[in-house]
This record gives sequence, C-alpha cells and structure tokens, in this order.
Amino acid sequence: MNVTDRAEYEHLRQAVAAAAPGVNKFQPLSRIIAHDDFNSGTHGWVQLSGNYDAAGNLDSMEPQMSDFRPPQLSSCNFYDVGTHGAVSGTYALKLATRPVKGHTATAIRRLTMPAKGKVQLEAYFTYKSEARALDPVNAPPGDWDGNYHPSEDLFGAFTLGSDMDDGTRYHVVARYMNTDFDNVPDRRWYAPTVVEPTGKERFDGKVAHTKLDDFTAPNRDDWKPFTEPLHLCYNEVPTKVNWHYLRWQFDTSTRTNVELQVNDVVYDTSHVEVPLYTEKYRALNGLLNFYFSVRTHADVRNFLYIDSALISIDW
Amino acid sequence: MNESLTVVIERNADFASEFLTEPYETAWAREACWFLVLDEQPDPGVTITVTTEISPDGLNWCAQDRALTLPAGERVTSWANRDFGGWLRIRGVVGGSVRGSLYLALKA
Repeated sequence: MNVTDRAEYEHLRQAVAAAAPGVNKFQPLSRIIAHDDFNSGTHGWVQLSGNYDAAGNLDSMEPQMSDFRPPQLSSCNFYDVGTHGAVSGTYALKLATRPVKGHTATAIRRLTMPAKGKVQLEAYFTYKSEARALDPVNAPPGDWDGNYHPSEDLFGAFTLGSDMDDGTRYHVVARYMNTDFDNVPDRRWYAPTVVEPTGKERFDGKVAHTKLDDFTAPNRDDWKPFTEPLHLCYNEVPTKVNWHYLRWQFDTSTRTNVELQVNDVVYDTSHVEVPLYTEKYRALNGLLNFYFSVRTHADVRNFLYIDSALISIDW
Repeated sequence: MNESLTVVIERNADFASEFLTEPYETAWAREACWFLVLDEQPDPGVTITVTTEISPDGLNWCAQDRALTLPAGERVTSWANRDFGGWLRIRGVVGGSVRGSLYLALKA
C-alpha cells in the first residue's frame, strides 16, 4: 500500500484505529474522539450540574439540576457474588440514584465540535435496581416466580442525551422507558418533543421546577415513544449484569437524529424530531456534550453501568 | 501516575441531627480523605461527630473507626481513611445545624 497517498493513509489509519484493543468491539465513525475505558479513571464523565450566580452561591442553582450525584468507578460489586467486574477489566462507570422516586443521576462529557457531520456515541451498558430493596412501600409490580424478579420493574428509565450549539442550541435525546412512573412495564424508547428547561429560562422567570422534576423534559406528556417495546436482558435478578451494545448516531450538520442501535436491533431515527431553542445562547459556540442519566420511578436506588464508551465523528 | 478522584458526596446540604451519606464505591482507591466544608464558621457550641462506615456489598455496613468529633468552630475539617475495602459512607450526628458540602478525595 502506498501510504504517501492521502486517501490510502486515511484508510490505513482508520483500520489501525478500529482494530486497536478495546476499540475493536465498536463500530466507530472515521475519527475517534474519545475511547473511555473506566479502568483508568472517569475520563471526563462528571455529574451534570446546574448554573449558579456570579457569587458562586449554589442556592441559585436550578433545583432540578442540583443533586445529580457523582458517578462512581464501580467493580460491579454485589452481596451474593462479590465483584462481578465489567466488560473490560474490573471497573465500569456507575450512575446511582438516591432511593427516592423521581431522583436522577447523571454523567456528562463535555466536548466541542471539531467538525459538523455525523456524531456517534457507542457504549456497552447494563442497568439494575438495588438488590434487597423490596420495601413494601415500593409496591413491587409482581411476585418472584423463579424467572421474573420484581426488581426489574423497580428500574425506571435511562437516557442518552446531548447538548449542541452551532448558533442554534438543541438537544438530541433518547430514553429507554423500562417502566412508566408507576412501575408498569413499558420498554419503549422515547424522545422529548420540547427543549430542556435551562438556567437562563429560569433566570428570566419562564420556568420553575422542583428538585425531583425530570430535568430533560418535566412534563410526561412531552415524551413520545418512537419504537415498539424492546426487551433487554435484565437477567432475572438484580446482581447479574449482562452487557448490551449501544450505538447512537445523529448529525450535527442537519441537527437530526440518524440511528439508534441496541445489539442487533437498529432503529432508523431520522424521523424523530429534534426540538430547537428559539432563544440564542452565548458562550456555547460549538458545544458538543453527551450525557447518560438514570431516573428511578420508585424509592429504590437505580444504577446504570457503562463500560466502555466511544465517541466518534465523521471527520 | 496514580489515579485520583474527588467527588462531592453531599453538596450544599443541611446537616442536622443525624445523617447518612449515599453508598460510594471505592474498591480502586487506597486512600480516602474527607472534607466537610461549611458555608459559615459554626458556632463553637455546634458539635459534629462522624463515623466512617465500610461494607462488603453496599448493603451491609459497619463502622471502620470509632466516632470522630470534629474540631469545634472550624469551617473546614478533614479526616482520612485507609484499608476500607470497596465501599464508603459517613454516618454523622450534628448537635445544632450547619450547611455546606462533604467532599471525598480518593487516590489509588
């Protein structure tokens, strides 16, 4: 191969990158921006936090973005087996809610756009509610029958989110609604039809939310399903973790969804509308953020585990 | 270079009477250093006692050390732990009421 030829070099570079250890379980776009193996720290995934005033007073933070909890480097450790471990090595990134219905935990990764075009987030994930958390007040939706375990329906929802600004601000969002807010199984993917409430809107008196409101889109009617139920592998009990492949793609040149893949199921999401802010925001030029969040629909801790994550751009 | 991670276990929170922090996984870390940072210097009459608790599974907990009474009247206080296994949390008792944040600084 004549690697002095630019196109051939690019072909070779991509082939080498895609074959690298840890990367070869993904399907990256042409340029890998981040490959986060949580055996070496959190790689910039940090709890999302609201904005605050000029004095740094945290009381001025939007209440619904004030308590998202710090992500953890988890060995996936359980009472019955000890350390379960992750896909690659011992550690995964874990998001853990409080045991309070409506509570959300987040991890966000903050980048900017080196180019516009297709953007892709890939990850291996698993989701669990806390073991031995079947308090009667949580009204488990069904009894254990040797296969079905009620902890499955004490897991609420997890969300893939983003935050972009190219002069117009917008979020591309997809939520796996394991159950509705009353712990009734749903299993469909949803997207919000409205933009996320911002600190600026709160400052201007346009929105006011409470601590446990759904920060992404507080009104439940503003979420619309875009798939049929997708049944994942919870694997019966809350201490077995089976990892699922996830690939989520959108296009920053057109501000549109492209695809969502979970294992061998691929959804064409190009018809899923992306709400745009009509207000202009300053100091967000080229913003490119990704987040994972998990929200419990019961007074039970919910956990989302990620190992690993890869962000790539068609660049 | 050793890994490190500082997290805010409780942020901008009221501490009064008794409190218990959320379980936090620390299996990768060798050292833990806690900081309680209050918004204002507390009245010297306010007492704050903390016990570091450890766990094999995040469900079952015991004290690692005896309860520690933090220095009275100090806005920022700190204590450290080693040999704590895979989980940490703090059990606290406050005589009075204070507001602030609890940080956990971990190092491999």
